[in-house]
Amino acid sequence: QSTESSSKTEMPDYVVKYTPLVSLDQRQGYKDDFNAEYGEYRQLHARVESITRRFTQLEAQCRKLTPGTKEHQKVQDEVLREYKKMKQHNPNYHEDKQRCEYLHNKLAHIKRLIADFDQRRAQSWC
Amino acid sequence: PVEGPSDANCVDEILKEMTQSWPPPLTAIHTPCKTEPSKFPFPTKDTHPSVHKR
Repeated sequence: QSTESSSKTEMPDYVVKYTPLVSLDQRQGYKDDFNAEYGEYRQLHARVESITRRFTQLEAQCRKLTPGTKEHQKVQDEVLREYKKMKQHNPNYHEDKQRCEYLHNKLAHIKRLIADFDQRRAQSWC
Repeated sequence: PVEGPSDANCVDEILKEMTQSWPPPLTAIHTPCKTEPSKFPFPTKDTHPSVHKR
């Protein structure tokens, strides 16, 4: 879980901006905001996910092999190659990842507010 | 930036950095949400066609 944030005392901007919902109009507005950034979020997420998966595979391979052997060295070289390749194709990988984490938290926050609102409404009907 | 004294250290650093757990993506907002009754939750004044997603 990526719960660590650089400054825990400071409230993220989206917490200040998106307060609990009181109306349907507001719900639509929140949902529009969510959808406006959801595409970017999914794109960034998929990119980080595939890179993470690739390196996790390499790590697993490394762990199965004995250090010092030719096979082990081959995988180690592969890690370096992959890393260089990744840096070339995604020079902003770290910024992208951070942006994605930020969007994840922000969109999760908006989604939770909408879900809370829906639940309150559903209960008031029953 | 990752420049260790040896390749092995360097590889360890890279692996540590690049294999941090990554949560599954958030799903989109579905309307109506699953905790609601099956009837359409909006008043009829809003004819926004957003029911195709379940």
